[in-house]
Amino acid sequence: MLLAALRDMQWRKRRFVIAILSTAIIFAMTLVLTGLANGFRTEAQRTVDALGVDTFLVKEGASGPFVGATPFAPVDLQRIASAPGVQAAAPMVYAGGTVTLGDSTRNADLFGAPERGPGMPVVSKGRPPTNPTEVAVSSTLGRNEGEDIQIASRKLHIVGIVENSTALANLPNIFLTTEGAQQLVYGGQPLVASIGIRGTLNQVPPGYRAINRDGAVADLLRPLKVAVNSITIVAILLWVVAAMIVGSVIYLSALERLRDFAVYKAIGVPTSSIAAGLGLQAIIVALAAVVVGVVLSALLGPIFPMQVIVPAYAYVLLPVIAVVFGLVASGTGLHRAVSVDPATAFGGP
Amino acid sequence: MGDLSIQDLVVEYSSGGYAVRPLDGFNLDVAAGSLVILLGPSGCGKTTLLSCLGGILKPSDGAIKFGDVDVTSLDTRGLAKYRRETVGIVFQAFNLVPSLTALENVMVPLRSAGVPRQQAREKAEQLLARVGLEDRVSHRPGDLSGGQQQRVAVARAIALDPPLILADEPTAHLDFIQVEEVLRLIRELASGDRMVVVATHDNRILPLADRVVEMVPEFAESYRPPTTATLKAGEVLFEEGTMGDCIYVVSEGEIEIVRELAGGGEELLWVAGPRDYFGELGPLFHMPRSATARARSDAAVVGYTVAVFRERLGAGGIRDLIAHRPIEMDETTATQEPD
Repeated sequence: MLLAALRDMQWRKRRFVIAILSTAIIFAMTLVLTGLANGFRTEAQRTVDALGVDTFLVKEGASGPFVGATPFAPVDLQRIASAPGVQAAAPMVYAGGTVTLGDSTRNADLFGAPERGPGMPVVSKGRPPTNPTEVAVSSTLGRNEGEDIQIASRKLHIVGIVENSTALANLPNIFLTTEGAQQLVYGGQPLVASIGIRGTLNQVPPGYRAINRDGAVADLLRPLKVAVNSITIVAILLWVVAAMIVGSVIYLSALERLRDFAVYKAIGVPTSSIAAGLGLQAIIVALAAVVVGVVLSALLGPIFPMQVIVPAYAYVLLPVIAVVFGLVASGTGLHRAVSVDPATAFGGP
Repeated sequence: MGDLSIQDLVVEYSSGGYAVRPLDGFNLDVAAGSLVILLGPSGCGKTTLLSCLGGILKPSDGAIKFGDVDVTSLDTRGLAKYRRETVGIVFQAFNLVPSLTALENVMVPLRSAGVPRQQAREKAEQLLARVGLEDRVSHRPGDLSGGQQQRVAVARAIALDPPLILADEPTAHLDFIQVEEVLRLIRELASGDRMVVVATHDNRILPLADRVVEMVPEFAESYRPPTTATLKAGEVLFEEGTMGDCIYVVSEGEIEIVRELAGGGEELLWVAGPRDYFGELGPLFHMPRSATARARSDAAVVGYTVAVFRERLGAGGIRDLIAHRPIEMDETTATQEPD
């Protein structure tokens, strides 16, 4: 009966090809959306990891070292830096900003930290900024060492490039000294968003809250939470559409083949074999759509202006979910096929 | 394998809420190795009987025994096994799977019976050669003529060498040349212990038969003078499902026309009063009565044969009769129906 199922697919190949392509496009979009959502997290994780900070100390009440930060004066910095387990502590500044590049402007994330960190990433070209007029910028900004950029009313000199450093949906990161960032963000007041600690802080000082890297990533992602949730909803809807396509094709196939199924039953073919044949069709459509979908997603990903980083687990889950969804969606068709009355094989055409 | 014995077979189903019995108390005994032809018009229960013989339809009552197997007592699994191992079916519309080649169509029952692929292929090739289609094995049904398709269907039916072959209108869609090929093949099938049961309304194949079973008793159109029947209240004039050759006109009293319901009980269709006529369609079309006629009060009716009725209606009257329009009948002296 499996041969009969394959022959039927060959017989109605146009319909199955259309179903596979339609489902593949949906799968590709699902993968791209999953890649987008994952891209947000991955770039935030990369940025936080690049800062080389193990713990961010923020003021009690603040929800994070970046978006949720409450500026404070780092009066306890020395005491914290000399606490047991702490290798280094640095005053850190964060803010969103706008960079003027000639005639155009771009949003960017501004980070302020001492030249030697913690909080200053490794530069791939040049050197880290050492004074308030210098910056290191992400390679995605499209500027080179020696060029100038303008942030607010200040002209800053690029001295270093940080490779592919982005956050908040592909916004380039710009790194300044703490003082440089304070001049831009706080009008020169000696305030910080957090104290970055390398090492282990055994006891959090009163009035402060310690946030680990995961907490910092979550804080950096906070503005995108609604967008990520929306993408997830759209991805789920796409799954439903994909399941409906597979389900309808199998249902139509079952409807058109009712006479065949009745004949099979009339000549003694077990019902389980008939169901297995239809199930095989659903699995083949789903798996073929996965393969085409993966290829399509690889072609579609670069078109997006944001980072599309499809997680490896998505490639494993996709065929599993596709097969399960395909079989579930084909349930109606399967039921129709197995419940056909063999007596309908009699009678005229 | 054995003889076929059918005892008091009843098949009842519901149609529009009414009980329909295409088979009602059917009996048949056939010896092994016979070619039996079930003859009758559409709707007389031929295909229903084939479905019961093939283990596809469970009868409402009665028993079917084929050799040692009591078909009517088999459960679902047993019926599937019976269909696979004991019965081969040749369908009216060939019913080959269009996506499979002739060879693959014949392989279906073999593979479903667990025969290994290579062995099934060799057997299917032999069977197709036996029905003269060795050069058409890789053709799909759409590329074969009606006769060739039917021969593939025959090859599929005998793939597992079943002792009972059922053929439903095997010549229905064939021209006379193709009919000849298929008839020869069907006759050859009924050899040894193998029994072949053919349902048809095609008289051409009657000479092939060892036994002809007329599903509807034939009656010659008779020309009898009208007869008067007197009925006591509650007395039945004719019953639903029976055959009859008279159309009745009420002279006195009332006759109620009732139809049996699927869940039991009956529905009153209408009450015929003096000068009303009823019971015309069954005799006209040689079909069983579709309702029961019973005296609602003491009544008298005059029964006319179709020929007499037609003669009295004159030209165009038969059209009014079929449409059950009021018709004018001459008063006729009717003979008294003997008790």
